[in-house]
Amino acid sequence: MSLLTVKHLNKSYPTFRLNDVSFTLEAGRIIGFVGRNGAGKTTTIKSLLNFIHPDSGEIIYFGNSLYDHEAEVKGRIGYSGNMSWYPRKKLKEIVQITKQFYKNYDEEAYQKYLKMFHLDENKTPLELSDGMKVKFNLLLALSHHAEILILDEPTSGLDPFSRDELLKVLKALRQEGVAILFSTHIISDVEKCADDLLYISKGKIIVNLPLNAFYKDYVRDQETLEETLLRLEERL
Amino acid sequence: MRKLLMKEMTLSASLLSYLFIGFSLMFFIPGYPILCGAFFVTLGLFQSFQNIRETNDIVFSVLLPIAKKDVVKGKYLFVCLIELSSLLVMFIITLFRMTILKDVPVYLQNTLMNANFFALGGAFLIFGLFNWIFVGGFFKTAYKIGKPFVHFMIMTALLIILFETLHHIPSLAALNAFGFDHFALQLSLLSIGIMMYCLMTLLSDRQACNTFEKIDL
Repeated sequence: MSLLTVKHLNKSYPTFRLNDVSFTLEAGRIIGFVGRNGAGKTTTIKSLLNFIHPDSGEIIYFGNSLYDHEAEVKGRIGYSGNMSWYPRKKLKEIVQITKQFYKNYDEEAYQKYLKMFHLDENKTPLELSDGMKVKFNLLLALSHHAEILILDEPTSGLDPFSRDELLKVLKALRQEGVAILFSTHIISDVEKCADDLLYISKGKIIVNLPLNAFYKDYVRDQETLEETLLRLEERL
Repeated sequence: MRKLLMKEMTLSASLLSYLFIGFSLMFFIPGYPILCGAFFVTLGLFQSFQNIRETNDIVFSVLLPIAKKDVVKGKYLFVCLIELSSLLVMFIITLFRMTILKDVPVYLQNTLMNANFFALGGAFLIFGLFNWIFVGGFFKTAYKIGKPFVHFMIMTALLIILFETLHHIPSLAALNAFGFDHFALQLSLLSIGIMMYCLMTLLSDRQACNTFEKIDL
């Protein structure tokens, strides 16, 4: 079942153009969204969150247009990027206010993930490492049972142990039916957890395939996924 | 909207926005341009907007399950709450100065503006200008606070100078009325101030909602 459908997304800036981006995200699947810095990953994600306005295209969540059902859609999705909020407020103060906005906020789920992520509610985001900040954002998303997680380079800057831990969490969430759009430029993370590969270069989607199919069609013998993508990038 | 206001008051606001309501007490000070008190209240609000920018509050708010325009409405609601709280303090002080303090020599010899309903109308006008120029200007980018505040400061300085000048013109001396003298005039000037405040706030809010919908964060 498709939870998110993006059709022909276009956005022009003076020096960059997002060009006809289309893809779908299905329940219980992880899309590895890869591309070099400045390829258009963040611009796409910002469009999905209504941070920026595409020049044209459609963004459909749960069968409804993002723009017509903005509040409802945002109540069913979660986002985590490399940004943190209110650095000097305690986590529990942020949660206390945030939870009031979500109809399906679940205290039990909150407590479960709080323990799982080893987060201390009395700390402030300023006192958290980058990895813990990502976990806190995930905690906010999972406490209201987000059906779609949009993750913008959540593993960037994390040590290998934290990355591995985070990937395990994402795989567990996939088992529960959560759909995940996982943007990264760390290709090995995609190899470890993604079901589908979405590869963007210079604002244009180059590959949109299940990872198995990509391996079959593109990856040569003895070649790693990263080497294949580098080879493709060089050709463009 | 209640939830949004709570969020603004607890997460987004700077403590100074609350503390600077205390500048409303400047309406008690003789020999001082009392409308500066209203300006200082807006300085406290400015601190909140600085906080909003530095804590990624706008992005956080847009992620909440609310319409994008409600982010703007939440900010206006908070700003109006602080302004109206300040105006309430100013109103109480003005009533004191118009009644039990009206014959106190230090106020009678005051060469600057007297605290009366005309002054209160001036405070409404300053807050209206803040909402129109600064808050409306902020939502053109959702991060620039310097330029709209400088514009607001210039306009406010000119307005305070105008208000402090007008009552020195002999034919307009009634503007500096003591107690309930020229009460109809005072009341009508206050009404104009309130109307201007409502108009500037509502128009600015509407325009900011439209602008904020269009900008890229």
